[in-house]
This record gives sequence, C-alpha cells and structure tokens, in this order.
Amino acid sequence: MGDSELAYGSSLTLDSMKVIAESVGIATLGDDAAKELADDVTYRLKVIVQDAMKFMHHSKRQKLSITDIDHALKIKNNECQYGFIQPDSLPFRFASGGGRELHFIEEKEIDLSEILSAPPPKVPLDVSVRAHWLSVDGVQPTVPENPPPLSKEAQKLESVDPISKLSKPSNKDSAGKPICGKAARLKASESVHVKQLATHELSVEQQLYYKEITEACVGSDETRRAEALQSLACDPGLHEMLPRMCTFISEGVKVNVVQNNLALLIYLMRMVKALLDNQSLYLEKYLHELIPSVSTCIVSRQLCLRPEMDNHWALRDFAARLMAQICKTFNTSTNNLQTRVTRLFAKALQCPSQTNNETGPSMASMKESEKTPLASLYGAVQGLAELGPEVVKVFILPRVRWLGERVEGALSGIGGADRLAAGNLKHQLLKVLAPVVRQLRQPPDQPEDYKRDFGYLGPSLQQAVSKIRSSPSCSTAGGAVAVVTCTPPLLPTAPSPSPSNISHTTKTETVTTRNLVIASSTPQSPAPSTPPPQKFVIVASQQKPTQIQSSSGTGHIVVHSSQPTIVRSQNVQSVVVTSGPAPGGAAQKVMVVGVQPQHNQGQAPVSVVAKPVFARGGGGPQPPPELDDLSHLA
Amino acid sequence: MSEKSTPLLAVLQLLRKYNLKSTEDILRKEASLGDVECESLDLPEVELASILTAHHTESDPFTYELAYDGLKKFIENSLDLYKYELSTLLYPVFVHMYLLLILYDHVEHAVSFLEKFGIEQEDYYQEDLKKLSIVKHKDQIKGNELAEIYSTNKFTVQLSRDASSQLKRYLHEQKNSSVIINIINNHIQIEVHDGPGRTQAQVRATAGGVLGEPMKSENRTKVYYGLLKEPDIQVLPAPVEDEEEVEETPDKPKKKKAKKDNLFMKKPKSDPNAPPNDRIPLPDLKEIDKVEKGKALREASKRVQLGPDSLPSICFYTLLNSGHTAISCDICDDSTLLAVGFNNSNIKVWTLTPIKLRGMKSAEKLQDIDREAGDVLVRMMEEKDRDTCRNLFGHSGPVYKVAFDPFKTMLLSCSEDTTVRLWSLQCWTCLVVYRGHVWPVWDVRWSPHGHYFASSGHDRTARLWATDHHLPLRIFIGHYSDVDCIQFHPNSNYIATGSSDRTVRLWDCLTGSQVRIMTGHKSTIFTLAFSVCGRWIASGGSGGDMMVWDLSTGGPAASLPPAHTAPIHALAFSRDGTVLSSGSLDCTIKLWDFTAITDESPIEETLNNLIPKEDKYLLQSFATKSSPVKGLHFTRRNLLLAVGTYESSA
Repeated sequence: MGDSELAYGSSLTLDSMKVIAESVGIATLGDDAAKELADDVTYRLKVIVQDAMKFMHHSKRQKLSITDIDHALKIKNNECQYGFIQPDSLPFRFASGGGRELHFIEEKEIDLSEILSAPPPKVPLDVSVRAHWLSVDGVQPTVPENPPPLSKEAQKLESVDPISKLSKPSNKDSAGKPICGKAARLKASESVHVKQLATHELSVEQQLYYKEITEACVGSDETRRAEALQSLACDPGLHEMLPRMCTFISEGVKVNVVQNNLALLIYLMRMVKALLDNQSLYLEKYLHELIPSVSTCIVSRQLCLRPEMDNHWALRDFAARLMAQICKTFNTSTNNLQTRVTRLFAKALQCPSQTNNETGPSMASMKESEKTPLASLYGAVQGLAELGPEVVKVFILPRVRWLGERVEGALSGIGGADRLAAGNLKHQLLKVLAPVVRQLRQPPDQPEDYKRDFGYLGPSLQQAVSKIRSSPSCSTAGGAVAVVTCTPPLLPTAPSPSPSNISHTTKTETVTTRNLVIASSTPQSPAPSTPPPQKFVIVASQQKPTQIQSSSGTGHIVVHSSQPTIVRSQNVQSVVVTSGPAPGGAAQKVMVVGVQPQHNQGQAPVSVVAKPVFARGGGGPQPPPELDDLSHLA
Repeated sequence: MSEKSTPLLAVLQLLRKYNLKSTEDILRKEASLGDVECESLDLPEVELASILTAHHTESDPFTYELAYDGLKKFIENSLDLYKYELSTLLYPVFVHMYLLLILYDHVEHAVSFLEKFGIEQEDYYQEDLKKLSIVKHKDQIKGNELAEIYSTNKFTVQLSRDASSQLKRYLHEQKNSSVIINIINNHIQIEVHDGPGRTQAQVRATAGGVLGEPMKSENRTKVYYGLLKEPDIQVLPAPVEDEEEVEETPDKPKKKKAKKDNLFMKKPKSDPNAPPNDRIPLPDLKEIDKVEKGKALREASKRVQLGPDSLPSICFYTLLNSGHTAISCDICDDSTLLAVGFNNSNIKVWTLTPIKLRGMKSAEKLQDIDREAGDVLVRMMEEKDRDTCRNLFGHSGPVYKVAFDPFKTMLLSCSEDTTVRLWSLQCWTCLVVYRGHVWPVWDVRWSPHGHYFASSGHDRTARLWATDHHLPLRIFIGHYSDVDCIQFHPNSNYIATGSSDRTVRLWDCLTGSQVRIMTGHKSTIFTLAFSVCGRWIASGGSGGDMMVWDLSTGGPAASLPPAHTAPIHALAFSRDGTVLSSGSLDCTIKLWDFTAITDESPIEETLNNLIPKEDKYLLQSFATKSSPVKGLHFTRRNLLLAVGTYESSA
C-alpha cells in the first residue's frame, strides 16, 4: 500500500497505444490522440476486468480466467474474444533487456499438418465423486485423502522448539487424538503450569498401529509386509510414531548385525525406504539414528551367516542407494550431510582400521583382520558410487591400485568367502570405474598404460572401458547405478562364479528357502533419480545356523555390543558378552533368560512388551537361539 | 441545451423549486429564454446542485484539499465521544470531493487528492476506491457503476445529537467549508439519534455498506420470524409409527414416546413471532410429500445432539477430474442426491446411496399402467436404465446454482444465460424455462414449503416466482449492486438477499417491501443461512468474514473472528441449530458454536468483553487436501456432508 501508484492502479502508456496503432496500419498517431485513446482504453479495460471479477467469484474461483472476461464482455453487449480458450489461467512470461520490461504470453507456432496427422488426444477423464471421512466425531482421521495433520513446517518447528507444541491450544490440534470437552475444560481451568514437558503420548490406536506395522514389517508374511510398507510410505499421520519407528530401526539393525540376520536387515532397510518415501514426514530430526543404521548395512564386515553364500551384496547395494537418497534429500549447507557421508566411506578405503571396529562379529576375527575386510570395501565403493561419478573420480580412482592389490591378494589366497568377495569387489569396481575412466581418458586404450596407471585392475578396466566405448547405448549409465540383476530362482552368486559356490548350490536346494524381494518401486519418490525397479532375490536357509555354530561350539553365543543387552536363549549353555572397542567402558547389564524351547512355526514375536522382537523364523525342528534386544528397558 | 445556458436553467429551476415566481419571470426575460426550454426543466437534483456549487469552487480546486484537511483535523481533535461517529463522515465527503473534482475537469488534482487521502480511508473501502479510481473523466461518471451509485443516492451517516451540533458549529465557523456544506446537503443524509456517541467498536460493527448505515426507520417493521405450525403433524404420526414398527425392535414404545415429546414440545406452543399460517398461501401437501415428511420426522428422531463436546462427523465428497469446472452444488434434503452445476452449462446429478437413478417410462407405455394400482409410482419408472449419474443439458452458460426442491422431485438451476430452469428428476428433462432476469442469475432457492422459489442476479433485483407462473410474482428492488445470494426464511414468508453493496436485506414476500437492511459486512456477501429457529441469519463474504444478524432488531448479533482467508461460499446450520459450519475456498471447513454466539446478550452490553470471547466461538477447523469447499449440508441425523473439487497444484 505504500506505493501510491500500486494502490490506485496503472494505465496504458502512449507508446503501447502507438505500437498497437502501427500493428493495425495507422502509422502516425498523434500524441493527443494516443493519450485520449490510452485513457479510454485503460478505463474500459478496467471496467471489464472488474465485471469479470464478479464472474470469477461466482464460479467459486480465485483466479481470473478467459471465460470470465468473455462473460464480462457479453454483459456489456460486446462480442467475445473468440479463439482464446484456455482452461487455466494464462501464464505470463517476463522478459527484460535494453532497459525495457515486457510481459507476454508465450505462443508457440503450431504445425497444422502435425496436428492433423497426430492421433486424437485422449478423452479427458469424466468427473467422478469420491467420498471420504474428513472428520469422525470431531477428529480428523489420518487417511491419505486428508492433509497431513502436522505439516512439515510444524514438525520442523517442533523439533527446534519442543515447547511450541504446548503453547498451542489443544482444541485446535486435531492430530489424531480425540479431545473430549472435559479435557479441554480441565486444560482451560488449569492456571499454574509448574513445569512444561513435551510429552509424546501415543493413543491406544497408535500403539496398536505401531505394533501391527512393526510386526508386519519384520514378519514372515510377504503380503502383509507389502501393505505395512505401503502404509509407512503413504499415510500422512505418522509423525507421532516416528521417533519410535526410528529407534526400532536403529536398535533392530544393531541387534541383527550382531546376529548376522540378513533377512531382517533387509526388512529394516525397506522400512527406511518407506519412511523416506513418505512425503508428510520431517525426517531430519531422526537422521542421527537412520544414517548409522544404513551405513552399517553398507560397510559392515559381515551381514549374513554364510558370507560365501548369501547375497548380502544386494543389501549393501540397496542400502547404498538409500544413503544416496538420504544425501540428496536432506543435504543442506548447514548439516553437510553428503560431505560427511562421503568422508565416512572414503575413510574406509584409506584407513584400514577405522570402519571395522563397530560391528565386527567376534573378537577373534577382529584381531585377525588388520585390513578392512573386502566386504566393507565393497560397501564403501558402492556407497561412493551411488553419490555420483564426480565422487567416484575423486575418491575411488586414486585408490584403485591399492584396491587392486587387495583383490589380487584375496583371489590368489585361499578361503571361498574371500575369493567371492574379491570377485564381487573387482566386478563392482570395474563397473563403477569404467564410465568414469571412459570420460577421463582418450580413446587409444592400451593395456600397458592401464596397467601402469591402475595396477592389477588395469587390464580388466581397459577391457571394460573399451567395451563401453564400443556399445553406444551405455553412454548414459554414468557409473552411478549398480545393477545386480538376478532372475528369481537364481542363487546369490557373485557375477564371477567360484567352485565353492557351486558346491553349495546343491545343498541349498534341500533346505527350506525363503525368497526376499527388495523392490524399490514406490509411487512417489522424493529422490528424482531413483534407479529403475530392481529385484533382488535372496535365498536364506533355515538350517544353516547350526552349521555355523558348530564351528564356534554349539550353544555358545558371542555377543559383541556396547549396549546393555538381554540375551534370551533356549538351548545355550553360555553367553559371552564383550564390550565395544573402548575397553573398560561402563558396567553392562547382562541378563540371561531361559526360555522353554518352543515349536513355534510362526514368526510371531515372543515378548511381553510391545517392543519389537527380532526373531529368526523357526523353520527347523530345533529353532535357533533367539536374541532379544530389550536394552530400552534397562 | 447549450453549455452556457445550463447554469441559467439550473438557477431557473431552483427559483421554481422555491416558488419565486416574479424573480423567475425577470430572469427569463433578461436571458431571453423561450418557454420550450423552461418547460423541459428537469435537471436531476444532483446535477443541479453541482452546477450551482460550481460557481464557488470551480475556479479553485485547492479548496477541496484544504477543506478536507480541515475537516479531518477537526474530527481528530474532537472528543473521543464524538470522534468515531464523526469519522464515518470522512469517507463520503472524500468520495464526493473526488467526483466533484473529476466533474470540473481537475483530473490531476483529483488523482493527487485520491493518492493523498485515499490511503487513510478505512481498509474496507479500499476496494471501492480502487474501482472509483478508474473514473478519470466526467463522461465516465455516468456509465460507471459505483460512481453512479454515489452520485444518485445519499450516503447515510448516523450521529448523536451532540456530535451533529459540534459538526454544525464547525461548519459555520470555517470560511472554506462551503464545499463540505454543499456535499453534506446534496449527498449525505445525517441521521441524528439521541443518546451517547458510539464507541469505535460499535461504529465499526455496522459500518461498511456502500452507502453507509441504514436509517433506523428502515428496520422498524415487525418481522414474523417465528416458524409456521406444521399443518401435517396431526395427520402424520400414525403412518410414521406404523412403518417404524415394521423396522424397529421391541424397545420402540419408549422411543415412540420420546419422539412424540420431541415433536410436540415445540409445535403446539404457538410462537408469538410466527406469522399466521395463511399469511401467504402455501400449497397443500400431496400424499407422496407427506410420506417424505414422515421419513424426515423419523430420521430426525435419530438425530445426534451436537454441541461443543460432540462435534459432527464430516463426510467429504470430492469431485475428481473437475478442476475449476464444477462451480455449484446442492444435496437434497434427505441427502440421497447430489447435483453439481458446471462451467460448461452441464448439470450432473449423482445418487449418494446404492439406489440408482431411474427415468420414467415413455408416454405410450405409461398409458398401459393401471392407475389404481398401489405401486403406481414404482410402475411408472423404467426398469432398465439405471444410473448412478445423470446429465441435464439445456443451459448455455455456467450454472451458478442448482437447488433440489424439498420433495426431491424437481431441480432448479440458474445460469449465466439469464434463465432459471426447472428440471424434473423423474423424466430427467427440463420442464420450464423462467425468463425475466436480464443479466446473469447468480442464485436461486426453493421455498422450504416448495412451490415458490426466489432468484437473484446481476440486474440488482431479486425475484419471487411460483413454479406455475412464467412471470415473477414479486420483484424486489433496492440493492445498489449485484444481488449475489438469496435465501428463503424457514417460514417462507421472507426472503433474505446479500449483495455486492455489502448489505443484507430482508424482504416480505407478501407485500414485496423491504423490512430489514443490515450493514456491517466489509465485503461482498456470497452466502446466507437462516438459523433453524428463524430468528438469526448468518452471512459469509468474499473476504472470509462471517456475521450473524438478529432479525428481530436488524442489528448484528456477532461478528465472527476472521478465520477464513478466502471467500466463504457455503454455510450450513446443524439440524438442531447448535452448530454452524462454514466452508471456504481456502480449503477449510470450520465449525462454530452457535449456541454461544446467540447466548450473548445484545451487542451493546457485552461489547467490551466480546473480543476475548470470540475465540470460544470457533469449535474446530478441518483442512481439506487442496479441495476448496463449495457446498455444505447437514443430514437429518446431523452428519455434515461437504462437497469440494480437488484442485491439484499444477
């Protein structure tokens, strides 16, 4: 309102009048005439627009449209403007240059013959009615048809200032909890607030929902899991449960990494994926829980019981993609997320003793490995690769020689698992590096040059690069997408088959198998560059655990954790608990709870509290030991 | 008439007006004016005055600015007791000074005057000032809607006796106040009231009309706002309960009694404010209508009591793929049908229940039907073609309103093509086209008793029609601008209209006269709703403001806090009258505690503590997902149905 010219309108200039006059063939329009015309035209235009406003209002719109102008012309007994039909409001473009400013409407030249030959446009969808509950007894249900009860901005504000939630009048907050009049009145009459605590209560329904969802997500029923993940990805009212969900995931990862329970880790990562896809959640608050969990699943030394057999590579790939998505979505200049994540992975490639201390499965293996395990290297490479070719160039390429040595050493050494890992790592490195190298180097690819520059991997890299060069379709791959494609009944073999793998193949066919499908296809993904849906099929056997345990002595569980832990076992004689890398840490509570062996075929969690229980499916006659994390109770 | 002689003629007319015969004759002789010219002396009053005042000020455009500045200073320095009342004078004086400056070709002065003082005017006048500011030439005054309203009507200002004498004294003392005196004489009606000067809040409560506040005398007529005695109530209970016995389980005796109490508690006490039942002739109920009424009563007995502690459930009907094309909607009284009017002249009717929509058989087939059969109504209908949605084609412009009749056999619609159409919901064809409005028809409503309906439109009139007459029974004229909405009083005796001139008016159907004019709205009124008891009327405007009026006095009962940020296009009272719901284009539905609103004693007493209480009015607000709310309807059981269109962000 400060600008008086804005307050009471503008008018057409003499120049525009002259331009318009020229366009209709009147070359010389006098200044006086132009002024008269400008004034009159301005007045008439404004009257028409004012009348058009009435039509806009009665059409229950807030944007003026062309039809409104037509109707306004009509009531003034003027001819309509034919041929200006546009269903939406006109998009004005703005251009300036040479000290002039211009607003114009973009008009594209249309090729008539093209229109005539084109197939007829689709018939627009017919109007249909859809009913949903906006409110049930004064409470707005959190269904996708309703707006999220707490907008992202509000969630953000709450995370910055938790007290702000309390100052809001409770009766305006319709976020899922029924507010009866009595409570509201109590609140109103309460005059003294001794101390304000931001509470996070869950209603009974929400508790049930939480229980159902978490059980379904880690349960054995694939259709239920799909539904639960769908709910996590789409439902708007989850923000109240979000802290618990994130704790569930992070605790779950901690426990199952120790347990080497690949299946559950995959389920948990799929939960992370679903939460990331949910548009209504403000996840920034919980990244400190999610990122360690996800990165654990990328670089952990061991993720499954039989590294030489199970396809934990798929999990690493999937988690790496998740990490890339997290970085893309949440990276800001203040949190420097991508930089920190990149540094984390880069460290794994550089300093062998940095990344393996958190999640090592046993004391013994820790001592043995002075170098970063190959699996972790694979994860770090994959994690970096997902962050884009630039990252690959800066962080992986200089390490190729060293990585090649590692691969070479492992391939020539003994131990099926190591060889498999090395093969995988090699394959992955080639795939990641080839497009980047192709961009960097000029066409004459000499194996000797490559050998000199990249060491052991040089010749293979040269082959890969020249292969890419020869096939033009691959030019868009960009080196960022890892493709591990397996057809359903295939085994989790690495691309380079090894004899140990084949020997296992016959065995796995006898045991009960379970197929896991990681599908990354979701309806709305915030990260624009999510790779096309891929299927990973992981075969996990149920009888295998006993074989593994035989190596470390039947009935012994080695728990390596810095968390207070409760171990529930059924047929275990002894429990060894080791603390984390920092020796002499805080005293730990260890509880051993003896449980009767159950012949529980199902996956139902055995627990008295509504807290997740990570139980391995008891497929075989002798269920494997269970390890429950109840640390939150301690 | 030549330009020069106009002032002379004006003087002549003035002389004649005051009956100064001899002077007139002398002047005529001297100016040698013919008889013919003198006979045709009929300059409008306004023009006459402006011509005569021109001789003082025509030469000096600066006097206006000085005079206005002086008046402003005088008002600012006067006692608080008078200040706020007197300040209402500023706006009309300002507007007329601007128009006078334009009239005398001081365009540049007029523009600078507007820019200097326009900003200071009340915020609710800014919209008008913008409209007025486009007038920049005296020829444009004639054709301009708003400028004509101002120059042909008097602006009403209410002043207390003391304030008006203060004003008089000031005007006498000042030398250059003749401009103001002229404007006040010609364009402003000062109504003096006894009693103390009003406070700021009181002044603001009723300010906002295009032409100021209404005169007190205009709201004196008694309004029979009570409800009619239900004539069919004695006939009905028996068949109703028979039907109920079929459906209901053994605990019905109790229910029957409770229901009887419910229904008879209100009705037998004849309301002292109710009009006689035969004040306007109402149609006799047909047998089928009685069945419908019976159903309504039975449903009403199962109604949920609403209040601040028990809010209604809301079922939201989203019109998908409609974008901006769906512009009006209505849900029939028993909540089984939904009609939507579209931008493209189409009307669609959906059934909201599993019962499909059926058409009537063709004429030849109808002849074969045994008319004495008990189920003749069912047999009339076609068995085969059943639909969940039907189209009604006929209009040739956007359909601005659709309305179901109380017995859901007919549908009315009004459109930009200036017609109102009556459609049959049995044969799904247009029955009558009512022509009469000359310009687009904005709104049409049925009388709650059927038979009559009312329409309003861009031609600034509201009209009362009966379905069996092709001409309107009454034409209500008085609004200064478009009549944007119309509503029938529950007793069918009155019609309320809301207009772009920011007034709500109540008209008597019997006499056709205006019985109430209510000002206080600060923006165009788009929707009206009568309370269930008939005493209150709620209105919602384009600025998202809502007001509740008391028909017994014509004053505002409450001005609800501005909770909506976009035009309100839907208002609905719960069937028990305790909750008022409002739906707006800002994609929210808000529920208001109507008991609390009307519990307040009249506005004068509680004005001081009104402001904190306003928060209590709003019960809850529900946001939709980018779906502007275009219609609201309470079912007989007090479930709130809302209709909106999903408008994606693209």
